Amino acid sequence: MAIALERPRVRARSARFLRVRRWVGLVLTWATIVAALIFFLGPFFWILTTSVKANEDYFAYPPVWVPADASLKHYAALFTRSSGARYFTNSLTISTLSMLAALVVSLPTAYSIARWRFGGGFLSLLLLVLRMLPAIALIIPLYIMYKLLGLTNSYMGLVLVYTVLYVPFAVWLLVGFLRDFPVEIEEAALIDGCSRLRALVSVVVPIIAPGLAVVALFSFIATWNEFLFAIVLTGIETKTMMVLVTSFTSGGTDMFYGEASASVVLGVLPAFIVAFMLQRYLVKGLALGGTKG
Amino acid sequence: MQIGPISLKRKSWEPFAFASPSLALIALVIIFPLAYSFWLSFRNFDLSVGPDSEFVGGANYVEALIRDTRFVNSIWNTAIIIGPSLVVELLVGLGLALLLSRIGRGRAIITALLAIPAMVSPVMAAMAWRMMFGVKYGAINNLGRQLGIIDVYFDWFSSPFISIVAIVLVEVWHNSAFMMLVLLAGLQSIPQELYDAGKADGAEGWRSFWYITLPLLKFTMVVGLMIRLIDLTKLFGLIFVLTFGGPGGTTETVAFSTYLAGFNDFRMSYAAALSYVIVVGVLLLTLLFMWIQRLREMRAA
Repeated sequence: MAIALERPRVRARSARFLRVRRWVGLVLTWATIVAALIFFLGPFFWILTTSVKANEDYFAYPPVWVPADASLKHYAALFTRSSGARYFTNSLTISTLSMLAALVVSLPTAYSIARWRFGGGFLSLLLLVLRMLPAIALIIPLYIMYKLLGLTNSYMGLVLVYTVLYVPFAVWLLVGFLRDFPVEIEEAALIDGCSRLRALVSVVVPIIAPGLAVVALFSFIATWNEFLFAIVLTGIETKTMMVLVTSFTSGGTDMFYGEASASVVLGVLPAFIVAFMLQRYLVKGLALGGTKG
Repeated sequence: MQIGPISLKRKSWEPFAFASPSLALIALVIIFPLAYSFWLSFRNFDLSVGPDSEFVGGANYVEALIRDTRFVNSIWNTAIIIGPSLVVELLVGLGLALLLSRIGRGRAIITALLAIPAMVSPVMAAMAWRMMFGVKYGAINNLGRQLGIIDVYFDWFSSPFISIVAIVLVEVWHNSAFMMLVLLAGLQSIPQELYDAGKADGAEGWRSFWYITLPLLKFTMVVGLMIRLIDLTKLFGLIFVLTFGGPGGTTETVAFSTYLAGFNDFRMSYAAALSYVIVVGVLLLTLLFMWIQRLREMRAA
């Protein structure tokens, strides 16, 4: 009888203990997540506030973390004095052109692999090799070839190399999207007298458009972020944002904070947009080097 | 009605024709330059001397691996940066993935927020941090002073050791999110039934992590580490902005010292040889990694 009375009390205590433990666990989980968010996003916040500070704020102590009156004059200086407008446009143009070219070249190849199993395991092998290949091994011969052909300091030269570097990744993603596409719809178009190419362009493309957009965004950000080819192959007129930003480091440890931070803000902008738009595909994109070019 | 089957019949030239644009481009912009570079690596082409060059056999490779202490040191530097980076990235990534797998509401948005650094270019990441490490106006020194941790303006890039710590820190900030995403995907693929079964056998908390999560996550971890290892051997933009190889060349990575040989000294043939040393090195590293992994699996079986 005594034992039977004892039991419920023990159970009640352990239930309360479990509830407290779960609550503590929840608090700790969220505290760590907040700490992680501060560590990973803090630098962006600091760069953003730095870019809108007034010049005297940089010297102030105690430091000004959030400027009282934000001004965009560093952005204005970046765009005019450092020709930032030109380099921003260069980055946009080169990334957009490479993105379009990579799509146009990759789509038929992906189609060929998805529908006719072209090349067997060739694609996966190529992807693996290209994933491992250090860009530094390619830049030396390309630089000499571009010099001979007069392709350095041209949009054309950079777009060409970015397109090719991106083709295997784009093909690989597109093959996946195309395999999910029902063959019957396409066959209906073929029976109606469409050529393969026509069927691809006017039947398949509109339906797999979301997949194309994923590939396009990844290729855009990869070319936007690329640095090694950009710094070697561009000249004064064709510099990209990545090259521009490195020009501020010549000031030593303490440099032109205003313009430098403004250029970083502009340089990371696409990353923010893409990280949110492509959430589901981030693993694939990052694993295949889809953002580093 | 013969039209249907006939028009649907595949023409033998079509698969090749569809694939040919990308094949041609890859041959032209990747395969041919690599072959040309291989040929070049056995000559003494130097842009600062002139356009003429002659065959020198394996002299460039001998110089790279034996006489050029700068390059040999850069191999060592790269390894010193890669080791700690891989370990910390794995631990941070695993911790974050476990945390994220525990929360329900808001997981998608928090994952996306934490993943942003991984989407940023290495150059931009390095620039942001270089400014934060700034001696007089940098966030880190300012915060340290305000909190009373340091009382002098500290130069973070004055000693080799602290420079490497700073590089690893930026590397961890930049790429832990990749590990996090990979491991989170791995965690979500572990069936809940296994945990339920474990619970019935008394495995909860740490024990379920140790006996269920970790063994099932091992393959994912290996793949993630492998990808990061290959990427870290290419470390260039981050070094270029953060330290430019300094102080005194102690943070020069293999990619960076090859870049300097090619585009600072203009010794194109020598740089080509260095780049082939890197390619072979990365290849060997990959094979070694795969071999160790297979050996482990065989022993486990």
